[in-house]
Amino acid sequence: MSDQKPSSDDILSKIRGAAKPAGDKPAAAEESSAAAAPKGTSDILASIKGGAAKPKAAAPAGTADIMASIKGGAAAKPAAPAGTAGILDSIKGGGAAKPAGTASILDSIKGGGAAKPAAASVAPKAAAKAAVDPSKASGMSAADMIKAARTSVGGSVEATAAPKKVALPSKPLVQPAAAAKAADTRRSFLSDALTAVCSPLFVAWGSLITATAASSLAMARFMMPNVLVEPPTKFKIGPPTDYGASTVSTKWKAQFGVWIVNDEIDGQQMIYALSTVCTHLGCTPNWLEGEQKFKCPCHGSGFYKSGVNFEGPAPRPLERHGIRLAEDGTLEVDKSVKFQKELGQWDNAACFVPV
Amino acid sequence: MNPHPDLTSGVLHGLGWYYLILFVMNLLWTVRSFKVDGEFKKSTPILGGMPVATVWAVLTSILLMLSAAHFTGGSSPEKFMIRLPEWFKNPVDAYFANPVIYFAGSVGLYWAMIRFREWWVQDTVAYTMLQLSLIFMGLSLSDYDFRQIVGKPDNVPIVAMLFIVSFLTWIYFKRAVDNDNRIAQGRPLFEQENNEKVLVWPDLVYIELICMVVLTAVLVFWGIALEAPLEEPASSVKTPNPSKAPWYFLGLQEMLVYFDPWLAGVVLPGIILGGLIAVPYIDFNKGGNGYYSFKERSFAISTFLFGFFPLWIALIVLGTFLRGPNWNFYGIYELWDVHKVVAANNVNLSEFFWNSPLFSWMYGGLPKGDSFMGSPTLTLLLRESPGILLTLGYFALLPPLLGLTVLRKYFVKMGILRFLVFSNLALWMAVLPIKMLLRWAFSLKYIVGIPEWFFNI
Repeated sequence: MSDQKPSSDDILSKIRGAAKPAGDKPAAAEESSAAAAPKGTSDILASIKGGAAKPKAAAPAGTADIMASIKGGAAAKPAAPAGTAGILDSIKGGGAAKPAGTASILDSIKGGGAAKPAAASVAPKAAAKAAVDPSKASGMSAADMIKAARTSVGGSVEATAAPKKVALPSKPLVQPAAAAKAADTRRSFLSDALTAVCSPLFVAWGSLITATAASSLAMARFMMPNVLVEPPTKFKIGPPTDYGASTVSTKWKAQFGVWIVNDEIDGQQMIYALSTVCTHLGCTPNWLEGEQKFKCPCHGSGFYKSGVNFEGPAPRPLERHGIRLAEDGTLEVDKSVKFQKELGQWDNAACFVPV
Repeated sequence: MNPHPDLTSGVLHGLGWYYLILFVMNLLWTVRSFKVDGEFKKSTPILGGMPVATVWAVLTSILLMLSAAHFTGGSSPEKFMIRLPEWFKNPVDAYFANPVIYFAGSVGLYWAMIRFREWWVQDTVAYTMLQLSLIFMGLSLSDYDFRQIVGKPDNVPIVAMLFIVSFLTWIYFKRAVDNDNRIAQGRPLFEQENNEKVLVWPDLVYIELICMVVLTAVLVFWGIALEAPLEEPASSVKTPNPSKAPWYFLGLQEMLVYFDPWLAGVVLPGIILGGLIAVPYIDFNKGGNGYYSFKERSFAISTFLFGFFPLWIALIVLGTFLRGPNWNFYGIYELWDVHKVVAANNVNLSEFFWNSPLFSWMYGGLPKGDSFMGSPTLTLLLRESPGILLTLGYFALLPPLLGLTVLRKYFVKMGILRFLVFSNLALWMAVLPIKMLLRWAFSLKYIVGIPEWFFNI
């Protein structure tokens, strides 16, 4: 911007800035026009033509809207209305009340550039109406546009002396349209809501969420079965006399997963319950009576009758479970507790019964 | 009557067909040999001047006679003479049931495969080896215990795998030796001279279609002919003895014998995968791109084949054929006796160390409880310090040492970061054979054994 007569570059940049948002909302058109930097004459003309030739690319509008925004944008710069009042003021001041047609718009551009944007943006629909005649709009050549723009830019030079102050009247511009839309929405709320609910997207997401929620609930219910067929953790295994000295009983292996061993450990004859889970990888070893050892079929770990590991990869002895002489004189095994030798827990009186 | 007869009329009948197929195979080979191989040199004793095909013709006629004998001998299988003698079976059993010899043998075979590649890739040599292995298998099938293992429907794919892997290895080495010779002589590569490029449509797609149909037919036939080996319902308290992983995981299961589950089941497989992913980063040698060659990338191929043959295929074979009840070693002709007694009393390194005369005199045996500075944790660490230091030294000191000495060439070529990645991966690969040998030779259980923390190496 300068006091000199605007060069064709300047003008084209104006147009370009305005023409570009032709594919956007009119409000945005004015915003970008200030920041636009000229690229080249051919670019600019192409964009003008493109914008005009492809009205379908424009969001709300037809050729008429595009033209309107070009026109409006070209002159919009100087206007800095802060609110509706300001817009109205500027309309009054500019004297460009209600543009009725392309001619009047062009007039207003030529006459009072400052007033123009308000006119163009306060009622974009009006502007569109005004420019509705496509023959008129499309009949306007690029040369005409440049001419019009040149005039308006020239006329607005003084008003744009302080470009930094050029605030962009985006909010107020939207308001009238929004208000109109709100009225629409209020009236058609029910039908709109119905359409939204029936849309495939809503149905798809809705059923996905419902199905997920239902299966989560089912899963949660599954975690709380009506009947729990787990063996009890505490069970009676008969009197100590059932287990002869220096024997390993595999009687309870299948049902409860314990071997009952009657053995002498450190000079003390005792009965203890060994877990049937190998300490290497959890297979079930077998008691080999001939070899007097527990032997795991998976990786060859071997354990003495005492449960202590001695061959294969098992890193630690078999675990003992709790055992006690119940009040009725029978042995009771408690599988809910375990005693590990390597942690020194085999000294605990709860894991053996002296006999 | 013997409940486990070595030979029955059904077995003899099957072997008759087996030898008949071998007969047809060798008949064709004799024809080929007559056309291609020419004659023995005049100076050769006995055979001088005769066509080489004579030897094959003799073998072919022997096979035909073997086949006829098996077909006609079905009436009284107990009296059938052609079977493996005990003097052959017993030493073979002793060999295969000994893991040290087995593993050393597989490593030796691997070494010979690379060292004598120019010799064994020759058609006649390779074919002779194939025939020897097939005849060995036919003779071995007359043994009841061998048949129980090899003939199990589960193990059929492994037998097939042995032959397929051998065949593919042979193709690779044949092509590679050929190209290496061409490079040495300055001739164009085989791939350049015999351009094998074909059009995707129709040539390649056509071949693929045929492969697809043949493979489907084989699978259908297989599914009908060999029954799926279903076992009894699963029970948490009854583990089959022996309990074997699927055949392709038997290498992993074998690793589990030597390492703690977290190492053998998580860390080592992860390092195998990570190492394979890192191959393009480590191996920036562009030799052999798009053509077969051994000499241009001998180190990379030798390393890979070491991991593949002795450390994977050989372990699958070991797990399939040699591991029996209680995960003991059994020879291929040996009865799977559940009560076979094998001394496998394993000892941790810390026990070796602290119970050695010197330290047991200095310290009085294994540090126990809180005897060291009143802290159980420090006592544990002191107890396992020999193993911990060894492990740290292995992974921290060996890479720079190797880089400065034996592998200096690679260190210079690769740069420090790449070399460290490479040498650590290589050391991890070496961990398995080292641990296996230590276990077999010294009954060493764990180098670092802290069962209190579930941490054993």
